[in-house]
Amino acid sequence: MRSAGPAPEPAGAEPGGPGDLGAQIRLVARGDAGAFDAVYDLLAASVFGIVVRVIRDPAQSEEVTQDVLLEVWRTASKFDAERGSATAWVMTLAHRRAVDRVRSVQKESERERRTAAADIPYDEVAEAVESSLERERVRRCLGSLTELQRESVTLAYYGGYTYGQVASLLGVPTGTIKTRMRDALIRLRDCLGVAG
Amino acid sequence: MKLRGREGHGREPHTLAGAYAMDAISAPDRARFERHLAGCEECAQEIAGLREATARLATATAVPPPSGLKERVLAAAALTRQQPPPVSQADAETETPRMRAIVSWFRALALPRQMAVAAAALAVVAVLAVAVLFGVANGSMRDQLSADQASSQQISAVLTARDATMMTGAVTGGGTVTIVMSHSMRTLVFTAAGLHALPASRGYELWLIGPAGDRPVTMLPAGPHHMTGPVIASGLRAGDHLALTAEPAGGTARPTAPMMLDVLL
Repeated sequence: MRSAGPAPEPAGAEPGGPGDLGAQIRLVARGDAGAFDAVYDLLAASVFGIVVRVIRDPAQSEEVTQDVLLEVWRTASKFDAERGSATAWVMTLAHRRAVDRVRSVQKESERERRTAAADIPYDEVAEAVESSLERERVRRCLGSLTELQRESVTLAYYGGYTYGQVASLLGVPTGTIKTRMRDALIRLRDCLGVAG
Repeated sequence: MKLRGREGHGREPHTLAGAYAMDAISAPDRARFERHLAGCEECAQEIAGLREATARLATATAVPPPSGLKERVLAAAALTRQQPPPVSQADAETETPRMRAIVSWFRALALPRQMAVAAAALAVVAVLAVAVLFGVANGSMRDQLSADQASSQQISAVLTARDATMMTGAVTGGGTVTIVMSHSMRTLVFTAAGLHALPASRGYELWLIGPAGDRPVTMLPAGPHHMTGPVIASGLRAGDHLALTAEPAGGTARPTAPMMLDVLL
C-alpha cells in the first residue's frame, strides 16, 4: 500500500507541485511562520469544509477549524510522510475533531440536525460547491459503490455517525455495516487512485 | 472479496478498519482498535491507504473559511509552543490522538481530574511544554494549578477573540515580546523570549501607562529557556502603552527605571 510512496495531493492544493504541502509541513515543524501561512492557504478551505459539513453550525465549525489548524502548527513535527500524505494527515485531524465535537454535544437540537444530515443525497458533495475535476472524480467514485456502501460512507463520514448508529438507521446488522464500510473505502481508494 | 481472506488472521478488530478510518467508532472501540494497530503493521498500512480515500471525501467539501480566521490562527500560532519531534515511533502513535491545540489544553485544565489523567498519559515532552508555558517548576505545578486555571481560561478567551490582534516588539537590552490583544475584552496576553537574565534582587515589571494613569500589571515570572509568560493584562484603556522596566524583585508602585519596551496599544 505504501510501496508507491506518498500519495499525490489533491489537484489545486499545491501550486508548487507534488510533495509541496509535505515540504511546507516540514518547514512548519521548524517554526517557519511563513510556511504555516502557506499551509493555511492550501488547507483552510478543506478543513473548514469538512468540519462544517459534519458540525453544521458555522460558529462551532470556525472554532474547531481554528483548533485543527493550531494543532497542525503544534504537532507538525509528528507528520511522517512515510505514513501518508500531508493532506490525509490534516484531514484526519480535522474529521476526528469535528466528530468528537458533535459527539460531545449530544443534545436534542443536535439530534435533529443529524436526522437532517441523514437525508442528504451523496451527490450533494458536488452540488454544494462549484464543480471541479477533483470533486467530479469523488462524486463519480461514490457513485460506483453499491447503495449500502455509499449510504454507510455518507452517514459515517459526512454525518458523523458511528457504525452502530449507521446500522440501526439502515436496519442492517452491525457486522454487515462494518464490512461494507471497509469494502467501500477500499473501492474508493482504488477508484481515486490514491496510495496504491 | 479481499475481506474474507484477511479475516482469518485479523479477526474481529480488523473488520473495524473502515469504521476506524472514518471515525465511525465509539471511544472504547477506538482505543481497542488502536491497541490492535500498534501491533499490526499491515493494518496500519491499510488504515493509511483508507485515509487517503477519506481525505478526498474531505477535500471535496472545501468551502472558503470565514474572513478573519487566518489572522486569528496565525496570531494564536505565534503564541503556541510547538512539540518536539517524536523520539520513537511508539510515542508518535499514542500521542497524536490525544494532542490538543493549546486552546483545548487550557480548556482541559479547567477540569483537574481530566488534567491528571491526561498528564499521566501524555509523553513527558507534552507535560514539560505545559510547565514551560505556565512558567512553573514540576514540584509546584499542582499547587499553582487552581490559580492557573482562571488565567488559562482568560488566555484562551483572548487568543480566540474575534478581534484578537498580534504585535511583536524588541526589548532594549535583548529579547522579544509577543502581544495578543482583544480590544473588545480590553485584555492582552503577553509573552517574552530571550530577556537578559537579571540578578536575583531584581525582576522585570510590566506596566500599563496612559492617560488613565500608570498601573503595574505584574512582575514577570522567570521561566526556563528565557521564556516568560504568558501573563495577562486586563482593564486596558484608550491611549495605553505597555511598558517594561527592571525593578527591585518585590515590584514597585510606579516605574523607577528606564523603559525597556514601550508599545502603543
